[in-house]
Amino acid sequence: MEEVLQLKGQIKEKERELVILRKKLAQLEKLSDFPTDDLLDKITPLAPVTPKTSLTNEDIMRFSRQLLLPELGVKGQLKLSKTSVLVVGCGGLGCPLAQYLAAAGIGRLGLLDHDEVELSNLHRQVLHSERTQGQPKSHSAAQAIRRLNSTVQCVPYHLQLSSENALQLIQQYDIVADCSDNVPTRYLVNDACVLSGKPLVSASALRMEGQLTVYNYNGGPCYRCLYPVPPPPETVTNCSDGGVLGVVPGIMGCLQALEVLKIASGQGSSYGQQLLMFDGQGSRFRSIRLRPKQAGCAVCGENPTVTQLQDYETFCGSAATDKCRRLNLLSKEQRITVQDYKSIVDSSTPHILLDVRPQVEVDICHLPSSLNIPLASLEQRKAEHIHLLRERISDLKQQLDAQSQVPVYVVCKQGNDSQKAVQILEKMSGPEVDCVSVRDICGGLMAWAQKIEPSFPQY
Amino acid sequence: MISEVSVLYFAKGAELTGLKSETVKLPSELTTLQLWQELEGRHPKLSVIREQVVLAVRQEYVALGDQSVSLRDGDEVAVIPPLSGG
Ligand SMILES: [Zn+2]
Repeated sequence: MEEVLQLKGQIKEKERELVILRKKLAQLEKLSDFPTDDLLDKITPLAPVTPKTSLTNEDIMRFSRQLLLPELGVKGQLKLSKTSVLVVGCGGLGCPLAQYLAAAGIGRLGLLDHDEVELSNLHRQVLHSERTQGQPKSHSAAQAIRRLNSTVQCVPYHLQLSSENALQLIQQYDIVADCSDNVPTRYLVNDACVLSGKPLVSASALRMEGQLTVYNYNGGPCYRCLYPVPPPPETVTNCSDGGVLGVVPGIMGCLQALEVLKIASGQGSSYGQQLLMFDGQGSRFRSIRLRPKQAGCAVCGENPTVTQLQDYETFCGSAATDKCRRLNLLSKEQRITVQDYKSIVDSSTPHILLDVRPQVEVDICHLPSSLNIPLASLEQRKAEHIHLLRERISDLKQQLDAQSQVPVYVVCKQGNDSQKAVQILEKMSGPEVDCVSVRDICGGLMAWAQKIEPSFPQY
Repeated sequence: MISEVSVLYFAKGAELTGLKSETVKLPSELTTLQLWQELEGRHPKLSVIREQVVLAVRQEYVALGDQSVSLRDGDEVAVIPPLSGG
């Protein structure tokens, strides 16, 4: 008899567990649905964040470990709960930033990004996942944030910030975090923050380095005070070209979150007139004291010339994206398509395939029988590399009749560096590269992977 | 008077010079513009970042111009171009 009762009790217990598990599953399924209705592709006015007058028991439990800090306390927590923050860019910086702000109980998070989640994002953009590949990043980030803290109001914007929408959007938020990945957007966000009087917590990262400054805050400089002239586009390296170790933007995004939380809770930021630099290789932080706000600044100065938003792509001479620019340096006769190169390979026509990518990229993938001489070595006319090229040319020449030119096809990742290399090789005269015909392969190895050999890796 | 200072190159600065740091002998008294020109003289490629560079002496920003700066042995000069990635 006792055993029967025991078993009945156990069954009841298991049934209760099942109910809980089903509920959890239903909740998760609901979250991972794709509710496009709450994803904004335009800007609509938002009601102000409802200020809380006291913390609920659940708030007290959730935030207990930070409520114990005298620097924050209940007062600071209540301030956080009524603060709205616009996150410009849900990438390597924006993900950790949004995550910590939501965890800490920020009131409202605007999550802006016009891009979709790709596999190559996941090493650093830690709110996204294999399951959200292909989805708008703003939506993917919002889902992850809701799972973490459902009391935070998330407003995902799947759109490109522009001169037309930036002011309307930024005016609706208390603090702006620049987590963008390109120069035009950085000037746009800066100007919009100056014109609407919002503090701008700005960070950036590349390779193993990061930088952070709070602009337009407490008499400190704005981005233009420090950088009145945008950099020439060809001097700007982005993450898709230069690479980035994921944890580096992670560290910078976390520092950004810290400064946002200090400003939101009333403690104030220490980076209003400082540039924080992080060198991940030497694991060193340095703070540079910056100059104050400049009276002659074009946007925040005494006689501003920028009184409304401009065309920032024109101003910077580059597109508001971190995707690769397409150069067009050569004539049609100096280039061949991947399809044409394929038929050269198929017909075993004697030629030299010169791969001008850096060694680190050749290690990732390369076509068989390619000769690797990095563009930098060609630019510097490195003797050992020129010698190598000359040898290959003269080897091939012996197979061809004396009159004909040796065909050299130059390839790189996307077809930009290969054009520069063609120009350099054509300028080189003398015995080393004489009697060659040099052309570049349009679109590079990525075009080869897309159009000719689907099993070739893309990166 | 000559001072031996350590010059640090960050981001694009390191890429253009091929160096993360170097020890350089420089006049102890010079203008900030002369300081930059000394560095550009050593590494002509640095000229492309001249308009954006944050040049810091002893961890303090100096604008390129005719204000003078005193360098002492062991001082740290940093060449910091902006990063824009994220
Ligand atoms: Zn300014």
